[in-house]
Amino acid sequence: MAASLSSAGTVRLLSALARSSLLCSSSGLRGLHVTAACCKNRAARIRIGKGNKPLTYEQALHPHHIGHRKGWLSQHTSNLKGEDGAADRTVEDVFIRRFMFGTFHGFLANEIVLKRRGNVLIVCAIMLQKMLPQKFYFLIGYSESLLSHLYKCPVKLEIQTLVDKAVYKYI
Amino acid sequence: MASRTTKALLSLGRINIPALGLNNAVSRVTYATALSVNSSSSKKGAPERNGRGFGSRKPRREAEGPRTEKMPVDQDWTAVYPAATPFRPGSVPLPVRMGYPVKGGVPPEKKGNLELIKIPNFLHLTPAAIKKHCEALKPFCTEWPSALDTDAKCDEHFPIKVECTDYVSSGLSVRNPSARIVQLKVKLSVLNLDDHARKKMLKLVGERYCKDTDVLTITTDSCPLRQQNYDYAQYLLTVLYHESWKTEAWEAEKTVADMEEYSWEGSPSQKNIMDLLLRMNVAGEGEGEEVREQLLGRSEVQEYKDSVTRLKNEGDNEGSVLQYKEAVKKVFNL
Repeated sequence: MAASLSSAGTVRLLSALARSSLLCSSSGLRGLHVTAACCKNRAARIRIGKGNKPLTYEQALHPHHIGHRKGWLSQHTSNLKGEDGAADRTVEDVFIRRFMFGTFHGFLANEIVLKRRGNVLIVCAIMLQKMLPQKFYFLIGYSESLLSHLYKCPVKLEIQTLVDKAVYKYI
Repeated sequence: MASRTTKALLSLGRINIPALGLNNAVSRVTYATALSVNSSSSKKGAPERNGRGFGSRKPRREAEGPRTEKMPVDQDWTAVYPAATPFRPGSVPLPVRMGYPVKGGVPPEKKGNLELIKIPNFLHLTPAAIKKHCEALKPFCTEWPSALDTDAKCDEHFPIKVECTDYVSSGLSVRNPSARIVQLKVKLSVLNLDDHARKKMLKLVGERYCKDTDVLTITTDSCPLRQQNYDYAQYLLTVLYHESWKTEAWEAEKTVADMEEYSWEGSPSQKNIMDLLLRMNVAGEGEGEEVREQLLGRSEVQEYKDSVTRLKNEGDNEGSVLQYKEAVKKVFNL
């Protein structure tokens, strides 16, 4: 009994020594952090701030409101039953959004709305009046012709301009 | 003189600007502005000056309000929205609001409202616009022939019906491979077929014939083009008709198993009942062919023949089984 007690004591001592030696060594120590996972949904959500950040309707409503309080930004028939070409249309959509975002950098008041009617691709955008109209016209013509050549289909741009963004609420 | 030159330049400048506007007149129709674009001209002065060189006068137009303010009540709406275009708040004189309201507020207004642009609108399809479309299409239309006023007459004069489908979708290509399928429907009663031809035709087409409606359906999709499939379907119909009229040498080897329907003459049922009746009557009359003929002539035997044929062709339903029972009872005088 005395022997076992002493052995337990030596084990504890040894472990204490080991821990202290580990703590002493500067490198090679990696602790395991165990905290509760924060399973919050962060998709397309702008977190609440102090109340001075303006949000448009698109930004204010979260993705789960699509179909209930929000419409769809892109419309085509490929997602219907028995139709194909959904992946192609999606890739085109992504490219056109990036293209418009880059060509009219800083001028877009809101998201781009894409509509397809048969062969024609209609890109609807709301822009701010920060540029000379001649420059606007040039960029619009440039986008139309470039996209038409890229996709081999007629591409039309429908632009509306605003003085400043339409604010829905302040976060 | 200085004033005159400046005035001349002024007029020159004013001519130029409308010209610029005119060049883009078409595009101005599509690029609607909630407020006129020239309202941003406060920054325009400086670069314009460099371009023109005479900076005292600025080719500025005042910011006009949206077009809705100048629309008369009795205007021609088909001119405002002649074709399907997205919603333009400056062109639609309605105080439309769309969207989920903020707490304690109202839905957002139409100016800068993306929701109104997202949805398809039918502003180009007012009843007046549709009337105009109809009027424009009328010269190209012809009257339906007055003699074909009932379905029966249409079937009588045009017994072959061809069905093809066109597909419309949004995408880079107008073509759809399913558009090549052609379906040809015809009633066999219309074709001039005798008994042998009809049986042979039914054997040739197999599944394509519907017995309830007596309609033969030929569906062709093996060719890449619709015209080719249509020609192939017509060719198939012609070939089937001619082949079913021909009698080949090997058709004489048709066995009982190939027969489409049951025939009583020469069947085991006939043999059985003949033997039975002969044995029943063996005491009375003599043997021979005349006895057989007599027996066959008897009405009970005919009834029995009808009932067995009906049972074998139609299957076991209540009527046929009852008929068989009655016939058997009569034959045995029960």
